[in-house]
Amino acid sequence: MLKLFKTILKTGEATLKYPFAPMPISPGFRGKPEYKPEQCIACGACAIACPSNALSMSANVEAGEHTWQLFLGNCIFCGRCEEVCPTKAIVLSQEFELAVGNKNDLFQNATFKIANCTCCEKPFAPQKEIEYTADLLKQTGMSAEAVEACRDQLQTCADCKRKQSMRATDKVELTGFMQKGNEA
Amino acid sequence: MNEPDKIILPGNGMPQPIKQSEEFQNLKGQLLKDIRRSAYVYRVDCGGCNGCEIEIFAAITPIFDAERFGIKVVASPRHADILLFTGAVTRAMRMPAIRSYEAAPDPKICVSYGACGCGGGIFHDLYCVWGGSDKIVPIDVYIPGCPPTPAATIYGFAMALGLLGQKLKASSHIQGESERVVMRHPGVPVELRVLIEREARRMAGYRMGADIADDFLGILGTKSSEGLEARIQEYLAKESDPRLTEIVTNLCEISTKAIAAN
Repeated sequence: MLKLFKTILKTGEATLKYPFAPMPISPGFRGKPEYKPEQCIACGACAIACPSNALSMSANVEAGEHTWQLFLGNCIFCGRCEEVCPTKAIVLSQEFELAVGNKNDLFQNATFKIANCTCCEKPFAPQKEIEYTADLLKQTGMSAEAVEACRDQLQTCADCKRKQSMRATDKVELTGFMQKGNEA
Repeated sequence: MNEPDKIILPGNGMPQPIKQSEEFQNLKGQLLKDIRRSAYVYRVDCGGCNGCEIEIFAAITPIFDAERFGIKVVASPRHADILLFTGAVTRAMRMPAIRSYEAAPDPKICVSYGACGCGGGIFHDLYCVWGGSDKIVPIDVYIPGCPPTPAATIYGFAMALGLLGQKLKASSHIQGESERVVMRHPGVPVELRVLIEREARRMAGYRMGADIADDFLGILGTKSSEGLEARIQEYLAKESDPRLTEIVTNLCEISTKAIAAN
């Protein structure tokens, strides 16, 4: 009996104090995905990576809007969205107290504007994504004027680009690779 | 409840949840107010992977000890106050789940447990899956997670019993007028950034590598009176991890080479 009490005293209390004290969480814990809509370029990489389709993107072409949506109920907290995000707009936090009474509280969404193609005026890509590309070009060392000069090109859809390159036949070099071979 | 709830069969492939009368809602409020004993939980498996069950049993172990709040897992739905639905509701487990719902005495609280219970999880679009326990029974509390940690489970139970409040709220954002993305590491040339990220990911794996590269580029990009060497030493001393030291030493070599080459 005395031995048992000694063992109990030595072991102490194993039970965690939660919920009366904050839960100790180890670094690297994958909790609720924390989303910063200001930092999002609506590229949709997270929606493609998401294995449970908790993240989805939908375009409303008439309104010129692109909507990002997270349904936390489906989220399996794998962190793939965090991996693929080019701007760190979504990061898994340490938050785990996610229980809700109303299912609608599990939804988060953000709406972004779609920019039209400068050539055919059809909806092309999220505006913020184009701005981000321009900023990225500036970061690679291009001057602001040069980036502004090719802004039309940035905001032209793939179809229009194809048509334009077909029109400028003097720029098409079908035997380019052969000439390159000769030089070498 | 004089008349048992009618189970509506799925029509056109769309399941119909069992409806609850107003009287039932009142009774449930009464139960929460007047409960002077332990809340008995019965766990209904609607075709899950058993991950959720393991976490439920982790929640009643001495480490988390849900029984100190009077939450007790029972073996029969006839004893239960709270029904815990796990799994994505497969075609085969739909009827057993409804039967255990019917067997539990009124008023009962239904909890949707885990990603599969909340919306089908990774199984949401399978052919034989109803996609969430709210498609068959009225749900009071949703506990997301794959599986929810024992702490999240205890929080969910406390919410179901009305002891703790809800933290999560729905959010909606509409793009502002001059909203622009903040570029990461504007002080570091893109070519160098790619080199460093590649090396860090080669050595530490995709995700951890990205984190290490991010920290390193942050130190590299900030301008300060101290030398780069001193700041990196300070960072390494703070982390005190020999693996990190090796990776960061490699990254330092790469960056000094790249800076010397330019």
